[in-house]
Amino acid sequence: MTTIKGLRARLRALLHRGAAERELDEELRFHIEMETKKNERLGMNARDARRRALRDFGGIEPTKEAHRDVRGRWLEELGSDTRYALRTLRRAPVLAATAILTLALGVGANTTIFSAVNAVVLQPLPFSQPDRLVMLWEENPEKGWHEQYCAPANVLDWENQVRAFQNVTMYFDGAGVSTLTGEGAPRILKASGVDGNFFDVLGVRAQLGRVLVPNETWSVDGNPHVVVLSDRFWRSQFGADEGVIGRSVRIDGHPLEIVGIMPPSFSFPVEGIDVWIPQAWKYAQRTDIGFRRAHFERAIARLAPGASIETADAQLQAVAGRLKQQYPETNKYMGAGFTPLHRFLVGDTRLPLLVLLAAVGLLLLIACANVGNLLLVRAFGREREAALRLTLGAGRRRLAKQALTESFVLSALGGLAGVTLGILGTRLLEQLQPPGMLRVSHFEVDWTVLAYVLAIVVASALLFGTAPALWAGRRSPAESLKEGGRSGDSRRMRRWTELLVVGEIALAVMLTLGAGLLVRSFRQLTQVDPGFDSHGVLAAQVVLSGAKYDSVSQVRAFVDQLEERVSGLPAVLGTAGTSNVPLQGTGYTSDFVIAGRPAGEYYTEITHRSVTPDYFRVMRVPLRRGRFFTTADRQGAPPVVIINEQIAQKYFKGQDPVGQRITFDKIPNDKSEWSTIVGVVGGERQQALSADPLIEAYIPFAQEGSPGMSLLTRVAGDPNALAPAIRRVVAELDPNLPISDLRSVDDIRVRSLATQRFLMTMLVVFASVGLTLAIIGVYGVLAQVARRRTREMGIRIALGAPAASVRWLVVRQGLTLVAVGLATGVVGALVTTRGLTALLYHIAPADTITFVAVPVLLGLTGLAAAWMPALQASRADPAIALRSE
Amino acid sequence: MPLAPSATPDVLRGTLDLLVLKTLTLEPMHGWGISQRIQQFSRGLLDVNQGSLYPALQRLEQRGWIESEWQTTENNRRAKYYCLTSAGRRAVGDEAASWRRYVDAVELILQIS
Repeated sequence: MTTIKGLRARLRALLHRGAAERELDEELRFHIEMETKKNERLGMNARDARRRALRDFGGIEPTKEAHRDVRGRWLEELGSDTRYALRTLRRAPVLAATAILTLALGVGANTTIFSAVNAVVLQPLPFSQPDRLVMLWEENPEKGWHEQYCAPANVLDWENQVRAFQNVTMYFDGAGVSTLTGEGAPRILKASGVDGNFFDVLGVRAQLGRVLVPNETWSVDGNPHVVVLSDRFWRSQFGADEGVIGRSVRIDGHPLEIVGIMPPSFSFPVEGIDVWIPQAWKYAQRTDIGFRRAHFERAIARLAPGASIETADAQLQAVAGRLKQQYPETNKYMGAGFTPLHRFLVGDTRLPLLVLLAAVGLLLLIACANVGNLLLVRAFGREREAALRLTLGAGRRRLAKQALTESFVLSALGGLAGVTLGILGTRLLEQLQPPGMLRVSHFEVDWTVLAYVLAIVVASALLFGTAPALWAGRRSPAESLKEGGRSGDSRRMRRWTELLVVGEIALAVMLTLGAGLLVRSFRQLTQVDPGFDSHGVLAAQVVLSGAKYDSVSQVRAFVDQLEERVSGLPAVLGTAGTSNVPLQGTGYTSDFVIAGRPAGEYYTEITHRSVTPDYFRVMRVPLRRGRFFTTADRQGAPPVVIINEQIAQKYFKGQDPVGQRITFDKIPNDKSEWSTIVGVVGGERQQALSADPLIEAYIPFAQEGSPGMSLLTRVAGDPNALAPAIRRVVAELDPNLPISDLRSVDDIRVRSLATQRFLMTMLVVFASVGLTLAIIGVYGVLAQVARRRTREMGIRIALGAPAASVRWLVVRQGLTLVAVGLATGVVGALVTTRGLTALLYHIAPADTITFVAVPVLLGLTGLAAAWMPALQASRADPAIALRSE
Repeated sequence: MPLAPSATPDVLRGTLDLLVLKTLTLEPMHGWGISQRIQQFSRGLLDVNQGSLYPALQRLEQRGWIESEWQTTENNRRAKYYCLTSAGRRAVGDEAASWRRYVDAVELILQIS
């Protein structure tokens, strides 16, 4: 009886007795009084009059309920339900903490990844009317070019002739390396070479001073004279002094006048630009053939007001067609096109982000299944309490709503904790993301992210709260109240929990399979032979520009001295210079012609690299035929070239290339320089470990130098230990020459896989968390099953069943769940992992090893999870077990 | 004492709002008064189900057609009085018109055969 009284008190406490409620009370009391008085007037005694009044009214409480319904009881009940939920959660702190933590993990991971998706994919570019901006590109089916860099002369023609373009600007992609001198120690700057109308086309203004003006694209002497600073550089170098406008600074040896400071939010084309410098073409260059032959500029157009994409494209195609005929030598196969700027810039980052988003989505689903199970198990434990409440007149809908409210409260708390985790996560992601993987380096948890989080929190609550709510609303009190009752309801609930467990195992399997594929792919990548030996080599990059290195001989003299000094350092085994370090991108490409082939026959896209004689020995690139370069291969000596074996295989089938001559002109003339092939070497992977070696020609550095060069030094021991000595040698040779990059080639190799490693690590982390949650789910459900069957076990043991067979009962149930989950997950993964294809290197999306290893591993873990409850069940003492219920 | 079943029909669903509004066109009135008035005016033919009266008042108030205020009755009892708002006055006309259309329509159908 005390229980019932207590329950009643609790139920009363549930009702919100606010002002509205008191008013309603009074109003109804007034009504009954009036009715009673009327009845008394009609001749009834006081007692009958009141009874009659009450009867006529037809039940005060239902009226109140109906009244509350109209009043917006929902909100009011929500308040009381919320308080009730908070109280019940406080009474079960372990359950509440587990559920909240689980949800927080899921929501936090989603917050973090979505904030990146938001910043990279969803947010508009920080330019004026960014949807009117398009990225122009050139294509050339003959060379296999698509969305390629543009030749400046072509872009100038498009700008003049395509009327649907309001204006067009060009810039040099990425960041160049420039040197600031005369302001303390020489400083390497990330510089962007842009046209004068660059800022106008993007529609951005300076925060101080002015941006560049269109005629600053051109320069009489071919040198820039003005510079625009980034906010960051302005602050770090000049302490945000507004007086620097108009001041002159020396960059790459040229005095440049500071004309403006950009706002902190602006850094384009890449993050972390320090200075924007005009490209400063000589006006005469417009007609130079090189201006139409060399493709190295990015071009952005702003569509004219009212001009449609279609019009612009039609006009561009017409102009490109005319240029083909007008300049067949350079433009015969050259097509043009454009893509909305935002889509172009998002480009490759979309897929990894979507994969991560899908992964955290799966994680959240698993978390929801787990919390749903927790709640169901708990609901089951409170079955009799709920049954009592039903008997006392609580509506089924009301109980269901209360259960749902509890889920929402949990979800809200988990969401809150999740957002906090998520904000920390974004900071972590900013730190961990490999540079250049995502277009932006800063992710905000802004309103868009919060709205998304709110949506997933509500969706989660509905997901994991529906089953307990249905369960709460469907119970039959009579069944539940029976001592030890086993109702149909409880079987239905067990189905639910089993379904949830199967579901979360399936999701975890999918997640783990995806992660497994990336791990396998990454392993493949690390085992790729790059064509050189990266171990024990230090790479130091310098840019030899400015007045001091104007002539080829000055550059060569410097490199000779540098090599000589460095090779004298202790522990140095060899040193060599190169224009391009492998895995860091290629040099320029050209067409080429082999002497003696039919007239007019040429080949395209040969990559050029200048190296000093010891390059191949330092990098341990194997010689296949002929010889390496020697110091005799100097300027003035006969031009020589070494080709990689890819050229030999492709263009010298069955011939010995050594001794043959090639030229890098498409149509040789009497001015063409023919180089003799003196050697064939193994191919090096120039762009990435995942990309096969391109056809490549090595030229002696002495015959064709390059302003940007890296000194590669092979040492005995740790190459990084040599770094200070290299710095000292460079500073001794030229105090104003900063080293722009100094790292081991091993490091370069590791960094070239940064994106893949990052993606793989993230997926492995998400999969581990998902897997742990799923295993906890399996364990939880089986433990509960085992508990519920304790009496049965006890009877079996009492009747003489061996412990092993009792154990097997539980384990079998667990294994069935795990097996069904595994099968579902594998089928699901077979469909979904296809989306990973573009991210996998030499691994099929349905890779057999992964698809066998992961389920086996998960099956074993599942077995372990089933074993523990089974062990407990089999130890059931019959005497205790029989008394337990 | 056994209670006789009521012989008066309940107010048709959906028409209660109209009856309440119409009643209130006369003067502000409390809930009990409204139920008495409806009974009176219909010469005892209609009996308002009290259980639906108060939710209906609540609904009308939410719709902005009536307002409520606590006042003292002639017998010095506090009661909640309801009165029509101007929107409520307009609504009476509309509701009455649509009720008449409805009655006419039903009448037309009943005339078949």
